[in-house]
Amino acid sequence: MTVEPSFTAARRVRFDAQVLPHLDAAYRFARWLARSAADADDLVQEAMLRAFRGFDGLRGGDVKAWLFAIMRNCHLTGIAQRDRRGFVPLPEEGDPQHGALVCPAPGPESASMRRDEERSLARLLEDLPPEHREVLILREIEELDYREIAAVTQVPLGTVMSRLARARAALKVRWSMRSEEERDAMR
Amino acid sequence: MPCAETESRLHAYFDGELDALAAAAFEGHLESCAECRAALEALEAMRSALRAELPYERAPAALAARITAALDREASATAPRQQSAEDELAGDPLAALATLAARGRAARHGRRPAGGRSTPSFGRGLLTGAGGGLLAAALAFFLISPHVISPRGALLDDLVNAHVRSLLPAHLVDVESTDRHTVKPWFAGHVDVSPAVYDFTAQGYRLLGGRADYFEHQRAAALVYQHGPHVINVFSWAGEGALPADTTRNGYHLAFWEEGNLRYCAVSDTGWPELLKLVSLIRAAEGQESHG
Repeated sequence: MTVEPSFTAARRVRFDAQVLPHLDAAYRFARWLARSAADADDLVQEAMLRAFRGFDGLRGGDVKAWLFAIMRNCHLTGIAQRDRRGFVPLPEEGDPQHGALVCPAPGPESASMRRDEERSLARLLEDLPPEHREVLILREIEELDYREIAAVTQVPLGTVMSRLARARAALKVRWSMRSEEERDAMR
Repeated sequence: MPCAETESRLHAYFDGELDALAAAAFEGHLESCAECRAALEALEAMRSALRAELPYERAPAALAARITAALDREASATAPRQQSAEDELAGDPLAALATLAARGRAARHGRRPAGGRSTPSFGRGLLTGAGGGLLAAALAFFLISPHVISPRGALLDDLVNAHVRSLLPAHLVDVESTDRHTVKPWFAGHVDVSPAVYDFTAQGYRLLGGRADYFEHQRAAALVYQHGPHVINVFSWAGEGALPADTTRNGYHLAFWEEGNLRYCAVSDTGWPELLKLVSLIRAAEGQESHG
């Protein structure tokens, strides 16, 4: 099959208008999925290319949820491929499994800063299981509704609701522990 | 501890997922249940903290350039291209996941996957069809897109385009604001309307500033709010005829209202409840001003 240049160009125009504006949102979500900023870059780029190739399959649907779902699939595919190859990535400097969004500050004063960081909500979120972290980010930060979250995470609505309730409860426990520690520290 | 049924309704109410009737019923319950009121406050406190504290970054300019270049290469490749199975699945992420999960299981257990369960999909399986059907369907979509010709659709496109344009670097605001008294006078000299200007930082909607935009044959005003990582544009212009209904276009919600002879439209990729909350804050402030 031959793809007409004019047709591809028209698709590109529509893609630029409808999908590319969600680049920032995609990047924010990618930073929570991927292990490092570089991985997030690669993930977003791969998802954008997949989205472009599959763009004609999107018919007036929800662009952002669709893009997020593709990106999440790319992410899971990457994990599955690494698992299949028995690939264990080396921990990257300044980018341990925890605190993907928070760069630890080097230097002697970093001890107290690291304590703050450990108590930060970002860090508390990092410690949650991925499916809890993901549902909280999608709802509270990206502000997707239940239907959209179900589409992105590919689970039924009822699962979204129960998962969200459990995720909130889990974060609340960690968060109130932090608050208590802070109160103790004030004394 | 509320029962599971009540708890699930509490979260749905908190997330704006209940219809008007169920929401009213739940508010009735809230009045008599201190436990649920406290739980709701706790949810709100954690949400506010998350939206205020979590770091977020915009996509680096280098990444945007990389993606544009990759898309250019992709779009200029006019030679026949065999679509890989994984590309096809991009149009149908749910099916993709089912496949992926099945492959993963197969890989782990070293046997063939059983048939995946059927799931709803965005793509309606279009891409898994023949290439000719794909082309025809996409072409039809492009040609019959109703908003290309209708004037109402043109307004919606103008609003979304103005919003998207505002997100480009250095396009967001013409006049920055720390309080509304710097923005309101600026509008007087730069746009044809005089919209209400309020800041709602305390409620999670920080007024960043104002901007002039041109559509509906006039210089319209745009107020720019920051809500978590989201930007909300509130456009206002003089208009007549039927007010467009609230709608979603290209992933952006558009909420319309009018006040006096002014039309307003709030545009953002926030959730609906979050966008409508800003609308109700603005309308309540306007109401107070006009009656106070």
